[in-house]
Amino acid sequence: MKMFKTLATSALALSFALQAQAADVPDDVTLAEDQTYTFWLLDAIKSMDPQINTDVEGSDVLRNLFEGLYNENGNGELVPGVALDHEVSEDGKTYTFNLREDAKWSSGEPVTAQDFVYAWRRLANPATASEYAWYMELMQVENASAVVAGEMEPDQLGVTAVDEHTLEVRITNPLPYFPQMLVHASTFPVPQSVIEANGDDWTDVGTLVGNGAYTLTTHQLGERVVMDKNDTYWDSENTVIEQLTALTINDVNQALTRYLAGELDRVDIPAGQYPRLKEEYPDQAVSTPYNCSYIYMLNVGEKGPEALKDVRVRKALAYAIDRDIIVDRILQGGQRGAYNWTHWAIADFERPELDWADDMDQAQRVERAKELMAEAGYGPDNPLDLTLQYNTSEDHKKIAIAASQMLKQINVNVTLDNYEWKIHTDRMQNQDFDMARYAWCGDYNEASTYLDLMTSYSGHNNGEFFNDAYDQVMQDSKTAEDPLPLYQEAETILAEEMPIIPIYHYANVDMISDDIAGLPENNVNNTWYGKDIYRVAE
Amino acid sequence: MITYALKRLAIAVPTLLLLIVISFLLMHSAPGGPFTSERELPPEVLANLNAKYGLDQPLWRQIATYVWSIVSDFDFGPSFVYKDRSVNEIIAQGFPITLTYGLLSFAVAVVVGVSLGVAAAIRHNSALDYIAVGVSIGAQVLPNFVMAPILVLVFTLWLGWLPGGGWQGPEYWIMPVIALSTSFMASIARITRSSMLEVLTSNHIRTARAKGLPERRVILRHALKPAMLPVISYLGPAFVAMITGSVVVDIYFSTGGIGKAFVDSALNRDYAVMMGVTILIGALTIFFNLMVDLLYGWIDPKIRY
Amino acid sequence: MVSTTENTIATEALPARGRSPWADARRRFLRNKAAMMGLVILVFVALFAIFGGWAAQWSNEELDYNVMGQVAELGGPSFATGHYFGTDDLGRDLFARTVQGTQISLAVGVVGAFIACIVGTLYGATAGYVGGRTDGIMMRVVDIFMAVPYMFVLILLLVMYGRSITILFAGIGLISWMEMARIVRGQTLSLKGREFVEAARATGVAAPIIILRHIVPNLLGVIAVYATLLVPLMILTESFISFLGLGIQEPLTSLGALISEGAGTIAYGTTWQLGFPLLFFCLTLFGFFFVGDGLRDALDPKDR
Repeated sequence: MKMFKTLATSALALSFALQAQAADVPDDVTLAEDQTYTFWLLDAIKSMDPQINTDVEGSDVLRNLFEGLYNENGNGELVPGVALDHEVSEDGKTYTFNLREDAKWSSGEPVTAQDFVYAWRRLANPATASEYAWYMELMQVENASAVVAGEMEPDQLGVTAVDEHTLEVRITNPLPYFPQMLVHASTFPVPQSVIEANGDDWTDVGTLVGNGAYTLTTHQLGERVVMDKNDTYWDSENTVIEQLTALTINDVNQALTRYLAGELDRVDIPAGQYPRLKEEYPDQAVSTPYNCSYIYMLNVGEKGPEALKDVRVRKALAYAIDRDIIVDRILQGGQRGAYNWTHWAIADFERPELDWADDMDQAQRVERAKELMAEAGYGPDNPLDLTLQYNTSEDHKKIAIAASQMLKQINVNVTLDNYEWKIHTDRMQNQDFDMARYAWCGDYNEASTYLDLMTSYSGHNNGEFFNDAYDQVMQDSKTAEDPLPLYQEAETILAEEMPIIPIYHYANVDMISDDIAGLPENNVNNTWYGKDIYRVAE
Repeated sequence: MITYALKRLAIAVPTLLLLIVISFLLMHSAPGGPFTSERELPPEVLANLNAKYGLDQPLWRQIATYVWSIVSDFDFGPSFVYKDRSVNEIIAQGFPITLTYGLLSFAVAVVVGVSLGVAAAIRHNSALDYIAVGVSIGAQVLPNFVMAPILVLVFTLWLGWLPGGGWQGPEYWIMPVIALSTSFMASIARITRSSMLEVLTSNHIRTARAKGLPERRVILRHALKPAMLPVISYLGPAFVAMITGSVVVDIYFSTGGIGKAFVDSALNRDYAVMMGVTILIGALTIFFNLMVDLLYGWIDPKIRY
Repeated sequence: MVSTTENTIATEALPARGRSPWADARRRFLRNKAAMMGLVILVFVALFAIFGGWAAQWSNEELDYNVMGQVAELGGPSFATGHYFGTDDLGRDLFARTVQGTQISLAVGVVGAFIACIVGTLYGATAGYVGGRTDGIMMRVVDIFMAVPYMFVLILLLVMYGRSITILFAGIGLISWMEMARIVRGQTLSLKGREFVEAARATGVAAPIIILRHIVPNLLGVIAVYATLLVPLMILTESFISFLGLGIQEPLTSLGALISEGAGTIAYGTTWQLGFPLLFFCLTLFGFFFVGDGLRDALDPKDR
């Protein structure tokens, strides 16, 4: 979900793009005079502090105000940020980063390895009380867990400044995608002296000191954020956009209207509007795969209803839902109907052959669902009553209504239960549901980010699907040379046990001004940087 | 009257205390806390967060600490969700915005509403009366969340005259004020008309007319003042309803006012912001009701306090 | 203030002439064209809410897969498809949904206003009439309640107990009695000084009887006007709650919920989704306004 869109680590292969540049403007392009870019935020920015921020919109802003060790390019590949490159030790547990010498804070001070050490310790330090402290643990930085738990001092964390421009990180296990994790905003350096002098107010306009391509000039909470080009940034010569503006608009339809009135350069397209806009504005409406999957989680645990403990019922529920209707008639934005858990666009992943997905059409699936329900003892005279819980959103509501009608044909009476996000989450975590809408956004571009979630030891398995074979497969995959067959086996187990009903795989559906170039086109996490953008003269 | 006002203000303190306690209890009994998130936080992080915000204390102590920090330092604490801001900062930024378009809307609603109502009453059963009644009824039934997107569609997308939202200068005020004031203006017009009609047929106006006073003088000197009583009674509730309406304005016009902060804080369980805004609005309401009462007493001296 | 004595005499003299003030009022009401029009509108809306379901060709929750996904092109109002009012984004019949929304909205409005009027009038008249310390305490209680940002409490209640119609009814009704109480008290205070009340008191009539016989009837005009303002206010409050997404649970709906959905998509060529629910919304409110005005003119004994 939202929270985790930010865990942006894209291509697993550590391939640096050749050019370590800012905006890559082709020679034959004439730049527009007005080099500004205005984008949309659904909500107010909760925090401008890299170690405190938890959501994707905050990260979009932070990536422009700060710069971490590595950035991503339009294809999701790593490009140098503050780090030029790194060496990995033989055992794969020690990373040594060589930092560029020309990186500067907006105050003019140089960015040093010590700044990263300070930031990382700060993230893990219990005194900071960061909701993202666990990210240090996810990165497997040495002693992270103990520091987060307050059992060790923050200076015991496995990160050291060897000299001004050399940073050493020790991790507990080899982690092939470790460098990708460094794109995440919570690992960005922060200026120690400014924080110590200003406390919680250090992120105020005028006080905030960053090392990104832009500096904060205005922050009117819930109204707008304005960022101006930072001349002390090491690559400011190649930064084209002079000013970035983020407008908060709480209503998605309203945002689209204002986009059409020319107030914004980029907005999300509301469900159902993509085909119309694509026809009307073929150059502006775009849809790209987005690293999230939408499911209905079934409560198969102790507190769940008896009926859902029967695999036949679970399968029937999954079969009866017509995904084509949901993606083609409701969402209509290039999403894909899902028959498995892992997003189809994930690198190096291929869905295994699944009989219900590949060998049946929807009519056959419904037929099969009816048979399964009959076998399980349910029929027109003995319908099954279930609740379907979803959090407040126009789209979730539509899908839930459609699903409830689809399930009616197999004699399931669905009661819709709509809750606010907090209650929805709270109820799910307390196993207080039958079926619940759930979505997961991959932390990185690899299948395990999805599949790990259904293990019995994952903290997110709210439906309490506990399956030893599945756990075993996932554990084996960690050390396997080629994990794909194991991932496929895991997906097959999910299809056989059906603890979750896959609904669809997300897409990013946007309107983007046709004179804006340089936004990522092939990045499943949609990580973008203002410094890569430029506006073409019309 | 001054003693009365002071007495009323003194009562404001227990009122606010009660408000604090009720809101606190309601808020804390709602499922989900400020740190409920999809990735369940590790217990140690949650413990740190709770310790940082004092949520590990018993409820009575939380309330006491909270009240004390307000009384001693006028400090409403840090926001639980907007973590680099204090509640004081959030209110200091959002409240002037809400106040600006709120007062403007209020002024527009009263001035236009009263004028329209009086005009309609004087020309009772004339075309003007019917038009005024028709317009005010029409305006009153159109919810502001319908009017707001229509305004944006017309003035921003089609005509391109006004910015579709934000808060950067007077041109950004126009649509919020129209959206917020219209229904109150209509209500005030209706109430004024109805009350004016009543006053105009009353005996003291008949007497005044019988004395041969010019109609203009009769209306302005004798009729308007008593006719304002129900309008003034309406201002209190209208004020509260306007705060509600500011939520719609904030959502549709992205003004960054406290209306949206208010709803968000409830949904996000941002206890501190929700308490701060509640107290602010509670205090304002008390103050406003007092003003209305004093005004009422000034107009109708027969009321004894 | 010579006039008030006349007034009292007139009011009390009426029954003696064999014509009750109520019969008088009815006659005046029936003669009022706007009020009769309002009544006709209200009867129409009520009939629509009660019997509209029989005329619908679709149920309010059935999805029309022929239309779904191309609602802007195919989902418009049409007799051929049986969707007289068109469909919503999911292809559900808007006619059936409007019928159902009207039922819920009417119920919320009437029940809410009824609760508010009864509680508010009795409370306000008592406080105003009794006066003194009782009045002080009673009005402080109202002040306390009014100082509570009630929308917030309602939001909290709906968030905590889920969405239920009962909470909506009770919540909306109990929010508004304070306004009513203040208005009524204000009016009572100015009535109290009048000679006819003082006369009644001087002749030893008990307080509750004075309130019910002399105060409340003199307030009926005001109450009627405010009651009609309240019903729409209740319906508007409910629509606001729906706008916040805290209203009635799907698949049930209210006019407010339909309007708020329709208003959101107003730019997408599906204007019937706003138009039809809004039409019934407005009709309902118009009806109450006209009837209320008619009542005011008819019931107010001074207005002759």
